[in-house]
Amino acid sequence: MEGLCCGPGYASPSEAIRAPSEKLLYTIAIYTGTGIQKPDYLATIDVDPKSESYSKVIHRLEMPGIGDELHHMGWNACSSCHDDKSMSRRYLLVPGVRSNNIYVVDTATNPKAPRIHKIIQGTEIKTKTNLSGPHTVHCLGSEIIISFLGDAKGEAPGGYLHLNKDFEILGRWENSMGDIPFSYDFWYQPRHNVMVSSEWAAPNTFMPGFDLEEVGHLKYGRRLHIWDFEKKRPIQTMYLGEDGLIPLEVKFLHNPNSSHGFCGAALSANVIHFWKTKNGSWEWEKIIDIDNEPHPDWPIPIPGVMSALLVSMDDKYLYINNWLHGDMRQYNITDPHNPVLTGQVWMGGLLGKAPIVNGVKIAGGPQMYQLSLDGKRMYVTTSLFSTWDNQFYPEIRTNGGVMLMINCDVKNGGMKINEDFVVNFGNEPNGPSRCHESRYPGGDCTSDIWL
Amino acid sequence: MKKITIANRNNATYEVKGNKPLLLELRSLGVDLPYGCQYGGCITCAAKLIKGKVDQKSQVALNNRQINDGYVILCVARAKTDCTFDIGVESHDKLYRNPFIDPLAPHELKADIASFREIKND
Repeated sequence: MEGLCCGPGYASPSEAIRAPSEKLLYTIAIYTGTGIQKPDYLATIDVDPKSESYSKVIHRLEMPGIGDELHHMGWNACSSCHDDKSMSRRYLLVPGVRSNNIYVVDTATNPKAPRIHKIIQGTEIKTKTNLSGPHTVHCLGSEIIISFLGDAKGEAPGGYLHLNKDFEILGRWENSMGDIPFSYDFWYQPRHNVMVSSEWAAPNTFMPGFDLEEVGHLKYGRRLHIWDFEKKRPIQTMYLGEDGLIPLEVKFLHNPNSSHGFCGAALSANVIHFWKTKNGSWEWEKIIDIDNEPHPDWPIPIPGVMSALLVSMDDKYLYINNWLHGDMRQYNITDPHNPVLTGQVWMGGLLGKAPIVNGVKIAGGPQMYQLSLDGKRMYVTTSLFSTWDNQFYPEIRTNGGVMLMINCDVKNGGMKINEDFVVNFGNEPNGPSRCHESRYPGGDCTSDIWL
Repeated sequence: MKKITIANRNNATYEVKGNKPLLLELRSLGVDLPYGCQYGGCITCAAKLIKGKVDQKSQVALNNRQINDGYVILCVARAKTDCTFDIGVESHDKLYRNPFIDPLAPHELKADIASFREIKND
């Protein structure tokens, strides 16, 4: 259905839900920090149940050098330029958090075997914009903005890189960072002229690994920021305090008329709900609070570490993970003030609830996930970030990461791990690698925004 | 010239000038080393110094416990004397630690937030 009208993506979320099922997905796999001296790569995974190579890595696009730490990625175009015939969803922008390079990958010439179209060198980005530590990629119409967590020396707060549709550096996107101390994820909702950004930490703080004491020394974030999207400057800060320690992923509902959004506070393991009030200011509340769990070897109970969060295209379900506990959860958010737990599955984690899934020993816990447009198939990977993996799940070095698939019941709620699907990155040809974020060529539940 | 010995690579030795970061000098001599940011911030290239002295004052990645355990950020560290290292992830046994099970004392934090250790005189 994509391209039926004119430009990329879909006319509306409801049209996106009716799109054909995905047959391929692209997943980042890393060797950075593993001891294997090979480049990180973009894996193509066959997810067509009718295919002979279903549930297998069918292509590996290696980056030109080692040490990038590929992490998140995004498309050159989405439904925000659905009306623009000259645009197509063809290029995946894949940043390296450590190298600062941005790889522009052509996925259209041969979708099964994507190729590098252009490299924006990390040194050029540093020289022209004084930014390092790239994270979230969003397109806005025919242009692209990418959040960076640090300046060229790895100090907070970083800012936003602005690229044109030919992937040339236009400079910094924002007119001001205001008094924002840290950057991380962002999402925008044009009909409300709003962008929301969250806070991880400076690259120099989080890249070497996690020291808990640095949270108390205010080296990690605890705020959300509301931006005037057109004026490109922050206008309101929501201080979350202890309820919102390390607020990471932030998402609006897909309905472009809605002002409701959610953020997962990783260390507090809380979901923060935010929305615009009648007088135009923004409010927030904690709607989900995952209790820390006792562990025989830990002096203090284990926090969930809610490192990601995702909303189904119909805006009915919110999905969260607890990376250290090992569970994925589904909540019905028809009333966003009162979420109802409707599904839960276990994979890996430190609580020992599901050490082996589909015959594979899981090192790590559910960490990144991507949901099909129809909301029925969720692909989940287990690695968070090389240095943090090494601290909490040292066995991932020899076991590698794993991708599993969860069947989600969109009618009645519920989650069940698909017994026919598992991609064991421990068996990769160059040795165990770690899989992270995924994107589907036809769109998914974190790629599209509607104007 | 300084002699660099890589203990966990069969004690292979290399001569370096000591005026450039060890990562650059060793890679130019054909040593295959992991690295990431190349400005001393990300820990990917950490190696363990067994003997010798380096200047790594521009590193910002290591906390004081890691420094006391001998870790050196090769992308910014320069050799001040002959040095012996273990390199690669095999040298990282003490580099990564579960921060909840094994917290840092105030003097073990990174330099910018560490407090001085109180030295008691008996």
